[in-house]
Amino acid sequence: MNVAVQPLGPDKVVMPLAEALNKLAKLEQANKLAEADDLAARMLAAMPEHPHILQLAGIVSYRNGRVAEAIEQMEKSEALSPETALYPRNLCEVYRGAGRLDDALRAGQRAVQLAPEDARSHFNLALIHYERLELDEAVRVAEQALSLDPEFAEAHFEKAEALLLAGRLKEGWESYEWRFKLKQAEGMLPKTEKPQWQGQAMEAGKLLIIGDQGFGDCVQFGRFIPWAALLAPQPVVACSTELLPLLSQLPGIGKIITRWDDALGYEAYIPLSGLPRLAGTTVDNIPPSGYLAPNPELAACWGRRLERLTPKGKKRIALVWAGRPTHKNDKKRSLKLSQFAPLFARDDVVILTVQKGDQIAQAGGYYGHAPLINLGPEIEDFLDTMAILQHVDRLLTIDTSVAHLAGASDVPSSVILPYAPDWRWMLNRGDTPWYPSLRLYRQSEPYKWEDVIRRVVADL
Amino acid sequence: MSLGTTDGLCSCGSGLRALRCCQADREQWPGQDAVTLLDEKAAEATRLFNKKEHSEAEALALTILDAAPNQRAALRVLFEVRNAQRRIKAADALGARLAGLPGPPALRALASGQYAQYLVGQGRHAEALPFAAAAVKAAPKVAQTHHVLGVVFTETGAVLAGERHYRQALALLGREDGMVLGNLAWNLKLQGRLSDAEALYEKALTLRPDNPRGVGGRAQVIFTKGERARADALLDEALACWPQDRMLRLLKVMADLACQRPQAALERLGPPEAQMPPELLARGRAFMQLGQKQEAISAIAAARMTQRERTGKVYQPAALLARVARDEAYFTADRVRHLPRAGTGPFMPVFLLGFPRAGSSLLEQLLAQLPGFASGDETAPVAELARAAEGLLSGGYPECLDEMLVGEAARVPNQLRQMYEAPRQKIGLARPGVQFITDRAASNVWHLGLIKLLYPEAPVIHVLRHPYDLVLSNIAQDRKLEGDAQAGLPGLAQYFALHARMIRHYRGQLTLRYLPVRYEDLVMDPDAVVSRVLTFIGMEAALPSGFALNNRPVAEPLPAHFAGREAVHRRSAWRFKDYQAAMPNLFSEVAPVLDPWVREFGYEERGA
Repeated sequence: MNVAVQPLGPDKVVMPLAEALNKLAKLEQANKLAEADDLAARMLAAMPEHPHILQLAGIVSYRNGRVAEAIEQMEKSEALSPETALYPRNLCEVYRGAGRLDDALRAGQRAVQLAPEDARSHFNLALIHYERLELDEAVRVAEQALSLDPEFAEAHFEKAEALLLAGRLKEGWESYEWRFKLKQAEGMLPKTEKPQWQGQAMEAGKLLIIGDQGFGDCVQFGRFIPWAALLAPQPVVACSTELLPLLSQLPGIGKIITRWDDALGYEAYIPLSGLPRLAGTTVDNIPPSGYLAPNPELAACWGRRLERLTPKGKKRIALVWAGRPTHKNDKKRSLKLSQFAPLFARDDVVILTVQKGDQIAQAGGYYGHAPLINLGPEIEDFLDTMAILQHVDRLLTIDTSVAHLAGASDVPSSVILPYAPDWRWMLNRGDTPWYPSLRLYRQSEPYKWEDVIRRVVADL
Repeated sequence: MSLGTTDGLCSCGSGLRALRCCQADREQWPGQDAVTLLDEKAAEATRLFNKKEHSEAEALALTILDAAPNQRAALRVLFEVRNAQRRIKAADALGARLAGLPGPPALRALASGQYAQYLVGQGRHAEALPFAAAAVKAAPKVAQTHHVLGVVFTETGAVLAGERHYRQALALLGREDGMVLGNLAWNLKLQGRLSDAEALYEKALTLRPDNPRGVGGRAQVIFTKGERARADALLDEALACWPQDRMLRLLKVMADLACQRPQAALERLGPPEAQMPPELLARGRAFMQLGQKQEAISAIAAARMTQRERTGKVYQPAALLARVARDEAYFTADRVRHLPRAGTGPFMPVFLLGFPRAGSSLLEQLLAQLPGFASGDETAPVAELARAAEGLLSGGYPECLDEMLVGEAARVPNQLRQMYEAPRQKIGLARPGVQFITDRAASNVWHLGLIKLLYPEAPVIHVLRHPYDLVLSNIAQDRKLEGDAQAGLPGLAQYFALHARMIRHYRGQLTLRYLPVRYEDLVMDPDAVVSRVLTFIGMEAALPSGFALNNRPVAEPLPAHFAGREAVHRRSAWRFKDYQAAMPNLFSEVAPVLDPWVREFGYEERGA
């Protein structure tokens, strides 16, 4: 079959359908989304009822941020070819992204029904169960995926997250070790023949601890470095430059490096996020918080500045509303500044935004009643943030590195969490054993922030 | 080779061949000896012109200039002829050429001075500046050159420089001159030094009583001082002397409108057929006061149409857009964070932002009633410091600010801050007891980045008003805005959007001590809003009783907007709603531009 991919112009190009579909798929995979969009539109104009064109066009629409259009195209695709397992499998993911978890569940189950031998269909369904907080089901379905493909790293990791979130830490840590086989973990560990540390005693300076994963993870697991240093004194800690001033506060470290080239002479390595497993961590033996503190001079300097910048007699509320956009769960955890409207209406607060990154621009569109001082532009690094937090009445934040920073330095904070949060925040509790100064506010329904914001602001 | 027109005549309309006019190669001009041979003929052309035999003078001048384009007297004649004919493009070219001719200082001063006066006469003060300055440089001991430069500086906002040159003119004259004194009085009025201005006007009008402009200026001084009855009487007296003087009549109409006498204003203006745009706009405002919405909009539309027809002026956003794009690219958080800042100074400016007609002048007036405050209004705006920065650093603004990262240039923020403070000290704004000086310069909206470097912790109070009310109010005002945005509602809407975009950018990228307040809240509950502002800027002050009457004595200098001082009232808030009800399509064209800002400013949720 051929498809005319430019039906409106005089120079109509006709190419075999298979070739056109292949080209479209390749453009999408190569992230050439504008070109893919253009080709999809032209193919659809020529063959508006072709299920696979519709399917690919839907994927392209989704990746271009046109979720409603994507769903419409993919639903039509599925209706036209109801026995194709790939379609409900894809649709399951798109529904998840749109926050339509009931539809996602139906699609995921249909995909599994149509292709019970397809590990990825099971994995997609496991993700939906996690999002719905059906954690036992999530584990069960992830295990089904693993029974079909035992090396399926993402399924292992999903299982780990479900176990950890359920509080089954010991089992969870084992599956959690698969995280370095994830595609996104490439380059996180050094290319080395040296073994991973198993918790045995070592000579001084021979253990390399690697600050893997995000800033928040490193802050959270940094508390285990002194424990590791008891067994392997003066470990070398490799981390990004941003974390250097924080991790250097921890006792027992031999030296801190920010380049692999400086990591010479070690005999074993361990990712920082591997330490809780080795330490046999359960909810009852987590090392205490308070292991980070601001630089006293910097804190005093910020204290004076805030005295000048903020009106007196009002509660100072620090605010972070968005995380790093490239984080895999950012859509779930990040908000728009405008969603904090109940906070803006308060007469008794001044809002100090400690948001960093491109999202600080949103402060430019704030016209609420409560004064808002956008501190982000003046914040150089985590030390500044920590210093500022010493002078606020409370931090209100999403699940991002600043929450960990505040928790590690015992700053009173309110953390708002998605319905299915990251595993470390556990379930059904308003506190966390990791950070006693944090109060947790959870979504009652997936993707619905209004109620959470109302509750957290009422408690300020 | 193209000569501009097919017959070889210059496209400027001088009547000369292009090669003898705008496309002339100055290197090829005849030498002074050759030019002198034509002096007698040129003198003849001058005589003809003086005898008002313009055609003959013109023909002779053209002949002479075809032979010697640099013959000064002939050039002067042709310039005068074209000026008399209102052939502006030609007169511009000839006048500028005349001013640029080499020659003895006295002649150069004369030519530059005359050309500067020519431009001043057309209200082109900024263009006149280099010629007026050249005249002073060529003849520093000639009073008239200083007088013209004084006018130019005063009318371009450099009032302190203007005062200096007026005083130099007086000193060089060695006597009191009514015209110079009158202009100096106007200058002092613009500085807010009303008592000094009034005293000078008295003196000037004694010397030159035949000066209706001076009388008008004096009336405005008295009006701004709050002595409205006296100002009214003075204007009545002047109108009795000069009943046909449109400027005096319009001033009286303004006084009527400020005193809420719209009917009297309409009667004074007379029938609309003969009215000029400023009069038609006043007519529109009078109808607004009377609540006659259709008539108001008709008068305003007629005024704007006439203006567009006469001047061809429409909103010209290109330069503004380029500036915004340049400043957005430069002033980013990561760049500004590392630039040096000035230290603290003897007083704290309080920057009052707001689109024209948003209500920042009302806020300035209310704050002025409190101890510790002085009203700086538009005095020596930060925009001038942006130009000064280009001189102190190398390169264009704002990129030149990068130089402050290098060596001794780190001191530049302090130097600029001192340049900001000096004029405020000179005119008495920064005086004992004053803690805060408000700065209401309209151009501040573009310069929040530089303000951040000079006064990193200065409060920025942004007066918001519903965007529909803003464009409605502005379209009725006889005020020139940047890019000629006043030409019509669409231009106003786009100009507003550009303002709002710039403020949003700066607020997103800089740590500003910024507080938005709403005009609608200010007029509804002035005590609450002003108290909120005071709390924000860290001042503990109890508001005096009757604060909202806005009539407490305020020390000079007093900005011009104090002329419109009145008790806080609510009649202008949400005014657009009535207009929209009466004329449902009035805002249709501007809605796509304004509505996103209506939402962003939070007016939608307030039921607007």
